[in-house]
Amino acid sequence: MVVTVENLEKHYGKLHALGGVSLRVEPGTLFGLLGQNGAGKTTLIKILLGLVAPTAGSATLLGAPVGTVAVRREVGYLPEDHRLPEYHTGPSLLHFYGALQGMPRRERLVRIPYLLELLGLKGREKLRVRGYSKGMKQRLGLAQALMHKPRVLFLDEPTDGVDPVGRRQIRELLLEEQRNGVTVFVNSHLLGEVEQLCDRVAILKKGLLVLQGTVAELTRSKGSWLVAFEQSPPEGTAWQGMRLEACDRPGLTRLHLEPNENQAIDTFLEQASSRAMRLRHLERERGTLEDLYLELADRGGAAQ
Amino acid sequence: MNRRPSGFFLSFFAMLGDAWREFLDAKILYLLLVLIGLLFGTALTGKIEPLPGGKSYLDLAARALAADLSGLDLAKENFADIAGRVTGSLYSISKAEPLGEDLPGGKWRVTLKRNAIPLLGKAESIGEIQERFGRIADGRLWIAEEVREEGLGTFAKAMGQQSWQMTVAPGPDLKLLWPNRFTLFAGSLELTPPKGAPLGLEVLILQKLLTTGLGGSILLLISVVVTAAFVPNMLRKGTLELLLVRPLPRWRVLVFKYIGSLLFVGALLGLLILSCWLVTGILADLWSPNILLAVPSLLLFFALLLSVSVFTGVLTRSATAAMLATVTYWVVLFIAGQMHNQVVESRLRSENAGKPRQVSVAESLRGNRGNRNPPPDPNRIPFHRSTVGRVAEGVYAVLPRTEDLDNLVDRQLMRDLAVAGPLRALVESGEFSWATGLGITGAHIGCFLLAACLIFSRRDP
Repeated sequence: MVVTVENLEKHYGKLHALGGVSLRVEPGTLFGLLGQNGAGKTTLIKILLGLVAPTAGSATLLGAPVGTVAVRREVGYLPEDHRLPEYHTGPSLLHFYGALQGMPRRERLVRIPYLLELLGLKGREKLRVRGYSKGMKQRLGLAQALMHKPRVLFLDEPTDGVDPVGRRQIRELLLEEQRNGVTVFVNSHLLGEVEQLCDRVAILKKGLLVLQGTVAELTRSKGSWLVAFEQSPPEGTAWQGMRLEACDRPGLTRLHLEPNENQAIDTFLEQASSRAMRLRHLERERGTLEDLYLELADRGGAAQ
Repeated sequence: MNRRPSGFFLSFFAMLGDAWREFLDAKILYLLLVLIGLLFGTALTGKIEPLPGGKSYLDLAARALAADLSGLDLAKENFADIAGRVTGSLYSISKAEPLGEDLPGGKWRVTLKRNAIPLLGKAESIGEIQERFGRIADGRLWIAEEVREEGLGTFAKAMGQQSWQMTVAPGPDLKLLWPNRFTLFAGSLELTPPKGAPLGLEVLILQKLLTTGLGGSILLLISVVVTAAFVPNMLRKGTLELLLVRPLPRWRVLVFKYIGSLLFVGALLGLLILSCWLVTGILADLWSPNILLAVPSLLLFFALLLSVSVFTGVLTRSATAAMLATVTYWVVLFIAGQMHNQVVESRLRSENAGKPRQVSVAESLRGNRGNRNPPPDPNRIPFHRSTVGRVAEGVYAVLPRTEDLDNLVDRQLMRDLAVAGPLRALVESGEFSWATGLGITGAHIGCFLLAACLIFSRRDP
């Protein structure tokens, strides 16, 4: 396991930022941590990074207690609302953080141009950070996290302020890191992005872990499909073992299939074909992380 | 898991480079460099030139001869009287002329005449004259290289008259004590009185003004303002996490940043004092290296101020608070140092009350009187025995000894430049020592840094 957390608690006076969280993350996972503001996500990450001491419970990273010098060599971190020292240029900042990580100069001289190119910062080498746009700062922040080729990455809102093209580049970059065996922890409010990117997701609420699982498990099928025909079926067309109803998406109709969804869709296609009805759209309707997240936010209880 | 060496030096040089970048980024630094440039530019428009020799030299020689006879009231005596009273003879310099370059640099030929009581006074040998007048002020002012007796005839000798020709070379301190004119802006602004001032004193004032005085104070004040923001900037949310996540102990982050700032200011101080050394060297052709002692002295003072700034910065995370605390601390140290100087002066006055005042060569050349120290006023409690004086000493005992370090630098400079006077007496007193000054100041720096590191290591970001 890359991360093992057992009954982790953190109290700030009377405030219980974490109230007994247990979690395990396997190597090479792209792990999404979700939750409302103040749910305890950042506290959990800071404990795993050794920046904050837990009140109770235990946590290990890469098999060693969190916060040790050896563990910190293997970790890259991009905090939310990070403030990079503005008197640096991009390359000098990466040299600075790289040296603090113990990277020899010759390694840095190879790695820095590569990362600047990868993150679209090439050609701005002489510009100081104070002249960077928000998106550029975010890319540079990501570059510093990747600088020393860490085995675990903790990224708090990694695409914050980045344009759509840049967001896609970052997503591809993280997937590439995952393919290279890096475990990535992502904190994000962009649920669609987490859904596209992550293998596993955990949702924190008021310092408690209320839900965790794979994205596929959490966004399982609702048992309905969205369909569109070239021409609408005549009024009163009977469909055996299924029900069609209007849908809020223009041009589409919702098809409810019960009880065996996979078998029923075949039956539907056969019936449509036999009636010479030309199908133009067919999409399985699934729950989204956003639905789940909002449902949990509205609900008081936990759904482990 | 561990793929790399500990990287102690890598992280040290990284923090050093970071501190230097932050320093260079502060625009106020360029203002400082412009100010220093202006100060030195102005100094370089100056000219220091010796007043002509001739009659002045005779006065100087007479005073120097008299000054060599300690315990005499110079205000009431003239050279001939003094010399005669001591030897039973009257000596006079009848002629003096340069052998090329004028004083204070060149050699002179001096004709010395003696008038003794006829038939009673024994003729003096060349050896005796060489011994009596050959080395004035231990040879610091005057060295008679060659003494030759002029033949005046047997009768003249019997009448107590003798004459010698001496080739006199200036001693090493003559140049320092020789009156010089100091002007600025190509002679348009006169800074010395018409009779001039001793060269050593002029150089001392100029060196102090540019280093431990105005120049150094401006540099340190601006450095305090710039560095006050360093730690609070580092502790900002979003910046601190990026540092603390690195594989090095927290205290090291803080101490390395401290050392980085210190070295940068050290380099600036070195530049300032080296420039001052060059300017005074060019102007006065005096290359005394002791002014370079001001670098460690001022740097230690800044190390103390910076440790206060770092401590306050860690405690409050506010650049304004760090700056105010540091400047307040500086003011407290300054007042405590001045009070301590008052106490030492008061103690010296009490100890020397009623005793004849030691007249130094430099003082006598400046025409100071060799009178007695005034007796203590019975109706007045000396400052060092007053309540205020005792409290001041109590406070000073526990505070860093930065004033001592300043006095120790002054002591070296005054010795180098043959400067005397009440301030010399103060700094020559045994109250100041390098060991105490460095030890107590170093202990304070250590305490502030230790406290800052402890708070920094234990606080959640």
